[in-house]
Amino acid sequence: MKLHKFFSFVLIAGALALFAASCGSDDDDDTVATTAAPTTEAPAPPLRIAIVSPSASNDLAFSQSISDGVNALGDERNIDVAITDGTFVVEEAAAQIRAYADEGYDLVIAHGSQYGGSLEEIAPDYPDTTFAWGTAADTFGLDNVYAYTAAADQGGYVLGTMAGALTNSEVIGVVGPIEVGDAKLYVDGFKAGAEAQNSNANVSVVYIGSFSDVALATETAQAHVGQGADVMTGSAQMVVGAVGVAQNEGVLWFGTQADQRSLAPEIVVASQVYKWEVILQQIVDDMDSGASGGKAFVVTLENGGLEIAYNDAYDLPANVRQLAEDTIAGIIDGSISTS
Amino acid sequence: MPANSLQSQSQPESQSESPSPPSPYLLEMRGITKQFPGVLANDRVDFNVKAGEVHTLLGENGAGKSTLMNVLYGLHQPDEGEVRMNGEQLSISSPSDAIARGIGMVHQHFMLVPTLTVTENVALGLKSDRRPLTDLPTVEKRITELSQAYGLQVDPNAYVWQLAVGERQRVEILKALYREVSLLVLDEPTAVLTPQEVEELIAVLRQLATDGRGLVFISHKLHEVMSVSDRITVLRDGHVSGETTPAETSREQLAQMMVGRPVKLVPDKPEVDVGEVKLVIKDLEVEGDRGNLAVNGISLEVLAGEIFGLAGVSGNGQRELAQAIAGLREAKSGTVSIDGTDVTNAHPSSVRKAGLSYVPEERMRDGVVSGFSVSENMMLLSRRESEFARFGFMRFGAIKEHSSNLVDRFAVKTPNIDTPTRNLSGGNIQKLILARELSSSPKVILAAQPTRGVDIGAAEYINEQLAKQKANGCATLLVSEDLDEVLALADRIGVIYEGRLMDVIDAKTATPHQLGLLMAGVAKAA
Amino acid sequence: MNLLAIVDFSVVEIFAARSGWSGFFTLSTLVVTIAATIRLATPFVIASVGESVGQRSGVLNLGVDGVMLLGAFGAYYTTLETGSPWLGLAVGTGVGAVMGLVYAFITVTLHAQQGISGIGIYLFGLGMSDLLFRQLVGTPKPIGGFEGLFEFSVPETRFDVAYPDLYNHSILVYMAFLLVPAVTLLVNRTTFGMNVRAVGETPEAADSLGVSVTRTRYSTIIIANSLAGVAGAALALEKGIFIQNITNGMGFIAVALVYFGAWRPIGVMAGSLLFGLVNALVLQWKTLGIISGATAQLAEMAPAAVTIIALVVVTNRIGQPSALTQPFRRGAH
Ligand SMILES: Nc1ncnc2c1ncn2[C@@H]1O[C@H](COP(=O)(O)OP(=O)(O)OP(=O)(O)O)[C@@H](O)[C@H]1O
Ligand SMILES: [Mg+2]
Repeated sequence: MKLHKFFSFVLIAGALALFAASCGSDDDDDTVATTAAPTTEAPAPPLRIAIVSPSASNDLAFSQSISDGVNALGDERNIDVAITDGTFVVEEAAAQIRAYADEGYDLVIAHGSQYGGSLEEIAPDYPDTTFAWGTAADTFGLDNVYAYTAAADQGGYVLGTMAGALTNSEVIGVVGPIEVGDAKLYVDGFKAGAEAQNSNANVSVVYIGSFSDVALATETAQAHVGQGADVMTGSAQMVVGAVGVAQNEGVLWFGTQADQRSLAPEIVVASQVYKWEVILQQIVDDMDSGASGGKAFVVTLENGGLEIAYNDAYDLPANVRQLAEDTIAGIIDGSISTS
Repeated sequence: MPANSLQSQSQPESQSESPSPPSPYLLEMRGITKQFPGVLANDRVDFNVKAGEVHTLLGENGAGKSTLMNVLYGLHQPDEGEVRMNGEQLSISSPSDAIARGIGMVHQHFMLVPTLTVTENVALGLKSDRRPLTDLPTVEKRITELSQAYGLQVDPNAYVWQLAVGERQRVEILKALYREVSLLVLDEPTAVLTPQEVEELIAVLRQLATDGRGLVFISHKLHEVMSVSDRITVLRDGHVSGETTPAETSREQLAQMMVGRPVKLVPDKPEVDVGEVKLVIKDLEVEGDRGNLAVNGISLEVLAGEIFGLAGVSGNGQRELAQAIAGLREAKSGTVSIDGTDVTNAHPSSVRKAGLSYVPEERMRDGVVSGFSVSENMMLLSRRESEFARFGFMRFGAIKEHSSNLVDRFAVKTPNIDTPTRNLSGGNIQKLILARELSSSPKVILAAQPTRGVDIGAAEYINEQLAKQKANGCATLLVSEDLDEVLALADRIGVIYEGRLMDVIDAKTATPHQLGLLMAGVAKAA
Repeated sequence: MNLLAIVDFSVVEIFAARSGWSGFFTLSTLVVTIAATIRLATPFVIASVGESVGQRSGVLNLGVDGVMLLGAFGAYYTTLETGSPWLGLAVGTGVGAVMGLVYAFITVTLHAQQGISGIGIYLFGLGMSDLLFRQLVGTPKPIGGFEGLFEFSVPETRFDVAYPDLYNHSILVYMAFLLVPAVTLLVNRTTFGMNVRAVGETPEAADSLGVSVTRTRYSTIIIANSLAGVAGAALALEKGIFIQNITNGMGFIAVALVYFGAWRPIGVMAGSLLFGLVNALVLQWKTLGIISGATAQLAEMAPAAVTIIALVVVTNRIGQPSALTQPFRRGAH
């Protein structure tokens, strides 16, 4: 009986260890020091950056955008990156943020608006560490916290005009997660763009109430199709299921947060892509100049932090492409308002 | 035939062995030893059964009877000793081995699945001819045949949870008969039966023995033992203390063999001057589980220094009446008062505060927390008493002392006071409850079947305690099916039938015959 | 068809006052809603009918979600590599069976506490499926699952022509609902099922008649976990995708649905359909703009709320196996 207890302990411990290994291994995989091209000068010690993000860093959406962004920064300078992703439990994320600060990372990125509350408590305990969190505009008045966000409404507006131009049924479906943050910005911009382009268009927006419920996202897409939608878009990582519906039903899809063309090459028209490296560069530059926070940054079409990635495999009519380019220019020069 | 010649050539030893006379015994258990933590439950026990006899195993609570039988049935592995059937040595490592050898067992705690029907319970574990589907009609047919052949009436399609205890007993026996056992063990089968059912059962057992089966019978009731047994083996503290036959012995002698000292089988009835009314029940109506009126307008009074015996076949409202008094079941109408305090539908703790001690019938369910230790169970009532708790924290020193004291005084057989209660034998759990209930100097005692399943030594002790409380001026309502017990202890006897009090008789003038008629619902036999 | 059209018409009239509602009460929208209900309920039906078998034998597995995730990944990855969803389904089932074996070993042979062990299985499945996905696949790649591949087509009746959505489900959906009578038959009509019921209720009684509690519980646990694997596979193959935590806690709902359905496959199915229906309705109303904003957010809680309310209402626990979560040791009473 004692032996049994011991064995079950070993077994459960083993299972947990494997699980822990699966989490821990992210660090091993991603901590490869992305050393910049060697320069002739004596290399400065690498800048150590840690990321905590709520979904998988390869989700073709929110979390991938930040890890791609940090890795792009590595092209410019000597950095050392650690990622903990998939921490959809906020408490877990908070513990990891603390751990990174303890380990002496120079910049700890809390990539999720839901982490704000935790960060507000943690940051004051580590005055020598710089934190960045997004997507948000609030630095809590702390001088070691940067906030960053995306003007996702801009790209949304551009994609919306394209959708308004491409729809035949004049029914457009949107699969949103929860009505907050850049998802809301994107969806609002998209709707405004589509309606501005096509005053007959009926843009049906459904927030499913979850960032991760693939089944519900899929059914929502199905419901849009049932109502006659021939163009759809959606935000956050759970939309992968919705893209599948679009593919099966031959409905056009617009992506955001990352380039989603690989999910369905035939029907993805274009995606809004976040280039966080643009504002990461600004943050790092600001740090180089001695500051360590207190500012908020926004990626926009103008500063190149937002890009529209067209899918070459989709045969986009030239006039629609031109419409998109004109809209981008209009937003940048201020002649078009996205709201 | 070549096969034959081969056999005779290759097994010369078996041939030379075969002339030795076949074993006279159906079952032989030799030198069985079984050690539990802190208890040597069986100590080199020899026990055997012949085909066609009823061999009774007798012994105090915790003497090791169930343990010995569980070893036989493969539920426990013995530390030492061997088991033979028809002279052949067996290794029984699980119940399926025992079943395969023709051993059947009716366990002390029923082994039935309440949510299955009678037929399903019997069919469980059997090979079906319509595999993988069940073949219940065939089983049902055979059950009907068997129950007719042995007078074991039971509805094969009823769910076991719907059955009364006596019917469940029959299902257990049918299970064994269906498997065509040659040896049937019955561990305290009569503890839960009414006197009439006991008679029926004994007749069945005799018939089974006449058919050539061997039977092992376990009971604490000496008159049953004397009437059913061919042989009797007595166990004491895990070892065999004697073997005899009914012809050679008497009840007194058996009691002495079990306990190791002379036992008073008929308790003294002290003459006590009765005092004021302590328990008043007036026009009480209580609903049963199925919404029927289980208690249908009962009124009675119990005086200080008096034992009021409530006799009746179980299932006639006793349980509901007791629960209603103790505050465990809602009274539909009528009143209950204890020592002048109205406790109708009061919380159980208020009823206790008013001065009631309650010895429940379902002792495993209502009487103890089986996972708690002996001392924790002893303390259940006095949790809040300042002697044992200070600022809500338990004072373990005082608790230990008090519990050890009670365990000694009430002779509860347990390795120590920290043993989980479920490891105690049935009779010792009953003693534990009694020790707890009687140590709180109650004004009114409600004792439901206090000596059921309890060995004679313990029964003697329990009866003594009730008599002592009576002498202290306590009013006792004794609910019992055991007419001998009621007649021996009570001053007045009421008979309950279908929720009504048939009559109340002075114990001095009451006869078993008269009470038996009342119990059967024959009104006011003149 | 004519009759239906009349019903359709009158309902539209009644609700014409509110434009959104009139959009909902059209036959085609109702059909779409029912179809969505069936699809949403499918993984729950498979997982919870399976789990009901395990619980009938007295074993609770809180790790259903983890096993679903592993089954989903196994099916997804196999289909991605081989292009055969059938092979994927087989692998998903097999992965579930292996997890069942592990869980049975922990809980039956080692007598470990079931609640904790189940959570262990969940965490393992959650972590392991994600790890394997990253190592072997990387970014989400769509697969051609069952969707469109094995669609069931019924003879062309007039009704079908009008409302094919009611019938055009992948074969997995049909398999899921066929499980209900199959498991009912297994539990109620076979000797194995009788053993299962006995072992879940009074294991010592079953043991005393030579029914092996260990073997029975191993079997039910493997069945339950295999079906959890199938449920995960169904999810991945229907959606044609895998992502981290794709089940989003479905396995836990499935366990709750077993209680909801009072341990009967038909009840469990009813619970799954109710859950699916509430989800589908909320979603349909949002799509039609009938509810929006704060109302919509409130409505998002409806499925969970309905489940909790139902669980509270079904408090009498009729049908709960008495030995649920209790390890069995012979001779320890
Ligand atoms: N599983 C067990 N673990 C530990 N001790 C046990 C166990 N089963 C029985 N015992 C102890 O072994 C002793 C013999 O118990 P057993 O049940 O055989 O008594 P019994 O003669 O059947 O008594 P009763 O008449 O009360 O049923 C008792 O002291 C009991 O406490
Ligand atoms: Mg016993």
